[in-house]
Amino acid sequence: MTEQAIYMDPALARGTTLSLGRQLVANGCVTESQLDRALRKQNNDHPAAGNNEHLVGRTLVDLGYISQSALLDCLFSQFSREREAYRADAGETPIIRLEQVVKILDGRRVLDAIDIAIPAKRVTAIIGMSGGGKSVILKHMVGLMRPTEGEVRVGEHLLGALSPRQLAKVRGRFSFLFQGGALFDSLNVYDNVAFPLREKTDWSESVIHDRVMRCLEEVNLFGMERKFPDELSGGMMKRAALARALVTDPEILLLDEPTAGLDPIIENAIHYLICDTYMRTRYTMVVISHAVPEIFRWCHHVIALHKGKVLFSGPSTEIGQSRNPVIRQFISGDIDGPIQVI
Amino acid sequence: MFNQIIEFIRKIGAASLEIIQEMGRMFLFLWDVVRSIVTPPFRWTNLLKQIHFIGIRSLFVIALTAIFAGMVLALQGYYTLSRFGSEALLGPAVALSIIRELGPVLSGLMVTGRAGSALTAELGIMRIREQGDALDVMGIPPLKYLVTPRVEAGLLIMPLLTVIFDVIGILGGYLVAVRLLGMSGGTYFGGIESAVEMRDIVTGLIKSVSFGLIVTWVCTYKGYYTRRGAEGVSQSTTSAVVMSSVLILVCDYFITSIML
Repeated sequence: MTEQAIYMDPALARGTTLSLGRQLVANGCVTESQLDRALRKQNNDHPAAGNNEHLVGRTLVDLGYISQSALLDCLFSQFSREREAYRADAGETPIIRLEQVVKILDGRRVLDAIDIAIPAKRVTAIIGMSGGGKSVILKHMVGLMRPTEGEVRVGEHLLGALSPRQLAKVRGRFSFLFQGGALFDSLNVYDNVAFPLREKTDWSESVIHDRVMRCLEEVNLFGMERKFPDELSGGMMKRAALARALVTDPEILLLDEPTAGLDPIIENAIHYLICDTYMRTRYTMVVISHAVPEIFRWCHHVIALHKGKVLFSGPSTEIGQSRNPVIRQFISGDIDGPIQVI
Repeated sequence: MFNQIIEFIRKIGAASLEIIQEMGRMFLFLWDVVRSIVTPPFRWTNLLKQIHFIGIRSLFVIALTAIFAGMVLALQGYYTLSRFGSEALLGPAVALSIIRELGPVLSGLMVTGRAGSALTAELGIMRIREQGDALDVMGIPPLKYLVTPRVEAGLLIMPLLTVIFDVIGILGGYLVAVRLLGMSGGTYFGGIESAVEMRDIVTGLIKSVSFGLIVTWVCTYKGYYTRRGAEGVSQSTTSAVVMSSVLILVCDYFITSIML
């Protein structure tokens, strides 16, 4: 990364779509003049932050042009329209492919010749029973685990054929939010978020500071930067880990159960945050979640796993119509059914 | 009966294979660490932190052990030598015992107990909380970032700790021999000056570097490959301390037999 690139709006930088502010105008959530006034105020208040769309949203709320909940609803309705439209785009080129992947761990066949394709610049949810190999799939995508059989491709790269140096380069396209956050205990929130920038870039400390503070503001952890991981609640921990994942502006964001162990309100807030992040950045996102059926509202594509096999892979709008009894039971949460737990 | 014998042989075979595999893994780990020591980037801040943790924070326990080791050696040595009328040799006896044996061995054991166990526990907890994986995803090799500075610090700091142990141990012997038992200070130090050779000091330093490597190698290996949660951390820590301590004593015997 270069210093010149860091404040560029990621969505515009990737040439994918309108910036978030323009989307808000296009959807009639705010007017053109309100957006312009918000941008001017923001540039006065945060000159270093440039055209940061999250701050635009915050500024719009601060100026009273839109309420926080209306802003989130507006984002969500925009996302819902995209989700509906995704049905027609379901055949688009995938960015990550697992081809006939088998993984045997401690003699158990965790993944059984699965084929998975992750669509680029979309949110994909992976659902399934605990211990069903969901986290193992994420770790294969980023090369933390190697398949016993089969191949993993990221773009054009075959991960198994890469040298350590090439693999590190491919990993540079990823960020990973681990289930427990994986924040470093000896570092405070600020230093945890700054860590990848200090290690992987030659940016000055003032540039890193601006970037870190912006990410903390995006996940609503402003003012918490001096706290250590053991002083944070579960939700704060996940948000701090999300900030660390976002700070490098990755192309692909992998989230391993970002809402596990959180109460429904925080869970909802994290879903909004993920949606907000996606709408601003257009990262390719892969989310492992047990929040079924809630998660179907927050993703384009769903992959359902059971006993190491893929039961369903398709648009989130279609999984509800699945006749597969395992999927039906998983969605309804019934004790009776093909999955016997008691 | 025949089946039982076969089963017994099978178990011995399986255990032997497991031990050989573990040794192979440990040596491959050491090879990776040695390679990473000479490969940039060099993280000096991390190294200084580990020198502080392993070295500076072990000083108190090293000093305490050294002074009492020197005192008890002088006390025991005096009563043994006095039987043969050789009290004048107390200084050299204390100094040579400390410089050649007790200094490096006790320093190694103290560092194992104080810092080695903490290294294993810290790395083990990082492992089970996926912090090593987090480094890997960021493109930072966890072995280079977490293990290398600890091993480097062990190699650098153990000789210094041993020298400090030696000096304080000899002073502890002085306290007992001269202040308590009424020996002349000139006899005590004069005997040391004439008896201790450079070869003795070099032997002690070679042992200290070897023990520094053993402690940090074994403890980081056990921590780095910790599995199965909190119980795994506890098992790794115990196993690291036991294995390091035993290896120090075994290695001490072989170095002594070579260097004599």
